[in-house]
Amino acid sequence: MSDIIEEPFFKGSTGRNTRGVLRLTILCLIAAAAIASRLFSVIRFESIIHEFDPWFNFRATKYLVQHGFYDFWDWFDDRTWHPLGRVTGGTLYPGLMVTSGVIYHALRALTIPVDIRNICVLLAPGFSGLTAYATYLFTNEMTTSPSAGLLAAAFMGIAPGYISRSVAGSYDNEAIAIFLLVFTFFLWIKALKVGSVFWGAWCALFYGYMVSAWGGYVFITNLIPLHVFVLVLMGRFSPRVYVAYCTWFAIGTLASMQIPFVGFLPIRSSEHMSALGIFGLLQLVGFVEFVRAGVPSRQFKTLVTGFVVAVVLIAFAALVLLTVSGVIAPWTGRFYSLWDTGYAKIHIPIIASVSEHQPTAWPAYFFDLNLLIWLFPAGVYLCFLKLNDEQVFIVVYSILASYFSGVMVRLMLTLTPIVCVSAAMALSYLLDTYLTIKSPPEPTDAQILDAANNSSSKKAGKQDGIRSTREPLVGIYTTFSKTTVVSAMTAYLLIFVLHCTWVTSNAYSSPSVVLASRMPDGSQHIIDDYREAYQWLRQNTPEDAKIMSWWDYGYQIGGMADRPTLVDNNTWNNTHIATVGKAMSSREEVSYPIMRQHEVDYVLVVFGGLLGYSGDDINKFLWMVRIAEGIWPDEVKERDFFTDRGEYRVDDGATETMKNSLMYKMSYYNYNSLFPAGQAQDRVRGVKLPEVGPTLNTVEEAFTSENWIIRIYKVKDLDNVGRDHASAASFDRGNKKKKTTKKRGPKVLRVE
Amino acid sequence: MRWLLSFLLLGLLSVVHAVSSSGSKLLVVLEELADKTKYSKYLADLESRGFKTTIESPKAEKIALFELGERAYDHVLLLPAKSKGLGPNLTPKLLLDFINAGGNILLTLDSSHPTPSALVSLLLELDIHLPTDRNALVVDHFNFDTLSAAEKHDVVLVPRPDALRPDVKNFFKGAGEDGEIIAFPRGVGQTLGNTSPLLTPILRAPRTAYSYNPKDDVEGVDDPFAVGTQLSLITTLQARNSARFTVIGAAEMLEDAWFDAKVKRSVGLGGVGSGAKQVKTANQAFVKEVTGWTFNEIGVLKVGKIEHYLNEDGVKSNVTNPKIYRVKNDVTYNIELSEYSWDHWVPFTPPTGDVVQLEFSMLSPFHRLPLKVASTTKTSTIYTASFKLPDQHGIFNFKVNYKRPFLSNIEEKNTVTVRHFAHDEWPRSWVISGAWPWIAGIGATVTGWVAFVALWLWSKPVPLKLTTSGKKIQ
Repeated sequence: MSDIIEEPFFKGSTGRNTRGVLRLTILCLIAAAAIASRLFSVIRFESIIHEFDPWFNFRATKYLVQHGFYDFWDWFDDRTWHPLGRVTGGTLYPGLMVTSGVIYHALRALTIPVDIRNICVLLAPGFSGLTAYATYLFTNEMTTSPSAGLLAAAFMGIAPGYISRSVAGSYDNEAIAIFLLVFTFFLWIKALKVGSVFWGAWCALFYGYMVSAWGGYVFITNLIPLHVFVLVLMGRFSPRVYVAYCTWFAIGTLASMQIPFVGFLPIRSSEHMSALGIFGLLQLVGFVEFVRAGVPSRQFKTLVTGFVVAVVLIAFAALVLLTVSGVIAPWTGRFYSLWDTGYAKIHIPIIASVSEHQPTAWPAYFFDLNLLIWLFPAGVYLCFLKLNDEQVFIVVYSILASYFSGVMVRLMLTLTPIVCVSAAMALSYLLDTYLTIKSPPEPTDAQILDAANNSSSKKAGKQDGIRSTREPLVGIYTTFSKTTVVSAMTAYLLIFVLHCTWVTSNAYSSPSVVLASRMPDGSQHIIDDYREAYQWLRQNTPEDAKIMSWWDYGYQIGGMADRPTLVDNNTWNNTHIATVGKAMSSREEVSYPIMRQHEVDYVLVVFGGLLGYSGDDINKFLWMVRIAEGIWPDEVKERDFFTDRGEYRVDDGATETMKNSLMYKMSYYNYNSLFPAGQAQDRVRGVKLPEVGPTLNTVEEAFTSENWIIRIYKVKDLDNVGRDHASAASFDRGNKKKKTTKKRGPKVLRVE
Repeated sequence: MRWLLSFLLLGLLSVVHAVSSSGSKLLVVLEELADKTKYSKYLADLESRGFKTTIESPKAEKIALFELGERAYDHVLLLPAKSKGLGPNLTPKLLLDFINAGGNILLTLDSSHPTPSALVSLLLELDIHLPTDRNALVVDHFNFDTLSAAEKHDVVLVPRPDALRPDVKNFFKGAGEDGEIIAFPRGVGQTLGNTSPLLTPILRAPRTAYSYNPKDDVEGVDDPFAVGTQLSLITTLQARNSARFTVIGAAEMLEDAWFDAKVKRSVGLGGVGSGAKQVKTANQAFVKEVTGWTFNEIGVLKVGKIEHYLNEDGVKSNVTNPKIYRVKNDVTYNIELSEYSWDHWVPFTPPTGDVVQLEFSMLSPFHRLPLKVASTTKTSTIYTASFKLPDQHGIFNFKVNYKRPFLSNIEEKNTVTVRHFAHDEWPRSWVISGAWPWIAGIGATVTGWVAFVALWLWSKPVPLKLTTSGKKIQ
């Protein structure tokens, strides 16, 4: 009785309820913190869609909301990839747009009129709260410690590795996909533990949702089979594994095939073959287990094992054969570049040209994960201490995700959840150990003797992995050591929070559509050239004016200027992109017919020379050249853009090819006029430009933004009286045509 | 009062009606107004056809081709000037701008005065070259007028020109009678660049003609500027916007004197025309045709209504000119074409051997089809083509690109989107016989599963019995 009075909140049923309420409150606070820390960009700038891909997602969402689901499903987009168009409805992952659409219509039904843009902007922060909760559930499946889950949720909520893709306005597939990833894994662990069709089916359904949302679903498609495969190899095959996996595979594959973009890939592409293979293997293993239960014969077992091995080998051989013969789609370039980081640069420049496909630099780990990265191995180690089926999952996931995150910067995203979970497990283990005020009773002599006896037996060896736990040092239980460790950990956590906030605020909250800089007096100066230029396009060009630009800006032009583009960030047609690259990197006389053929009305280039904005087209130019060279190796050569000494120069020493290329001319056209004669300076490359600027004949300047970041040129029509553009432009400049008095060679006679 | 006004207006309208298809404001640039009498017949011809002529000297202050950025005249006739320059209001740039703005120019040259340098450089821009010697004229020792140029052989007599090619309309043949002779007195021959597809000669010099500078004292000419048919006497350029520019090598052709003159040709090569009689020149009729062509009175094409519509299984859709089609749709395209003939529109028919074509193109044509005559109205012909759209989605153009010498350009582009099959436009699975095994498979699985569940639910569980040894058996 006195017990209950003394500690009424933490014991018995009241205690459970109190703990539940506390936990709920903490989770809500974590979610709130997760959302709040992602709102920097909205507060600093405005409620705006960020970067590139989100602009397409936003545009697609608007289309969905406006035209309804079926029109969206069958959407043929004639305003991108002119004149090819894009079967957009069949080549996107609709999960994100449909989610926003559902939220939009639900709010409408509740008579809450919300602009679709605000839903899109705030979707990622909103889902980050859910991700934190999903991480909590997932971690709770892994450990008995009640605090690990909450810690993991908190980590997940504010880890910069995840925030990088989910700040407000970053309306990308990853915004909801990470939640789905973690939740699917939670359901998988649940299904595996319980061995129930129910949880397996839920897992498959969320897997289907994940497939509809992000191309990264392949990670799940391979991780779960790998987990099962490892379990089978470890001799941990059980009916639970069989039921969970088969349910997941059958329903999940069917669900994934409902997405038009995925279609028959699950049975045709190499990336999905592991799931199919493991499905087959499980049937065999299940059959063997069944037979072995019935016929306990040693020879028979050997025979069956041999049979299984043979079947696996044959299946593998068949897979290779089918791949070679082309029935199963061979590995895609993106897949190869996962194993060989130099592969893309040589074979598929278009993949290598994307900065987020570059290999990760090591400081990125500390930048994105901070203290979690060194707690992470400890957490994985703890999994080995108590190795159940679910802990194997953590180990497998850790190894795979660690590797992939090292290959591509953007796969850091898949690593983050497992790092959060492992780190939380390690930290909670540490805190659980050091926060208990009670010391264990001094072991009596008998107990020591007992322990010594036990340690010789197998059991003890297994249980006590760490020597410190086997022979607890006296010092660990002192208040001093406990206080030291706990306060150190608390300090680390506080620093972690500081770091996360700092990173989020400084690195990941820029919309990149709007640039911010500091004035000398410290006040913020907004550089809004992009929107200025897109607005100009929107207001001054006909609605069907085709804009040619490098593909990076395609989505933004489509979203903000609402004008058709030739290529955009959905890089489905390499040849078309190479065509644009060729037009940009060739002489005007070569580019002009290409632009005419593609009905280009305006050309847009990004030029950072005046402001020192390094992400401009001249810096990306070599990628255009490389991509064009991939298709026309005889006409565009990367070597011609380098000087004899192998330098990439834009000043006086630039090669003729460089100086005559359309991109160079459009970038530096009239730039001299800003400076006193001979003083023109490129602030990105830090060089002085030639005294005489380039001349343009086939295009004319239409618009240049305030800071010269965006320059738009209008493509001239054919000359009305049949001259070539060079002579027409020269006539317009007031030069008289030289009369060719002295005929060289025989007269050219007119035939007709 | 009002009815009087409306009558007046009506009268005005009828005057305006009998004129070129592109307006009646004509500027005649003539240096000395006194020379006007020389061209009285020609100018009277023009005015009787409804042109409102303004005669200005090139040096006049108020002469301006543009007013407030708009064309002030529809046509310009440049008669030869004595002075070397044309003044600041008729620079080559302005003349070119005038053409670019859709105005027509008829330029006359004269060998007795050197061509103003402004015009030379304008012609050079258009790839029309004049002899380097300023006084060069066209001479022919076999086809000259024995009455007026028995000594100098510089009045070249040529028959009416034949069509450029058999499949090109000939507007300059008159009634088509043989024996009509055009006198080309003391004219400047031009050569045409080989690259410009817009240049077409109307009248070429005879085989035996050549360009000769009378100031040269040398007996023979060893390197003439151009000879024979390379020498164009009357040249036209039709710009891409269908503005017309014509150079008449001999301004004297337009003079009253040569309208009425009688000529008698010399004996040509191989004794041709040895028995020639004295005949009246066909200059007046021929110049009318050349002027009429230049000032958009003949050879002007007009596109009327263009429509395209879905025509599945021969059923015409009610929606015309939709923005979007589906691949493999059956589509019909109609275009209405008229031709202007002096003062009214007539149905257009291409010359024999030529067809109007329709292209359905994306980057390159997927279809190039001849347009057939569907029907004819009083003023137009309706051409039509029906075809099945290609199995390729994208943004396509219905394109009629009809550009022929002496006919104004037609370039009509109608952009449509061709989309892919929507998800509900495919045949249903049970229609496809190949799908039947799979449908049967689904049926079998469903039935089997239902049967299994039924069996499972309705079979009574056997109670467990314990054996003596405590093992469970069923």
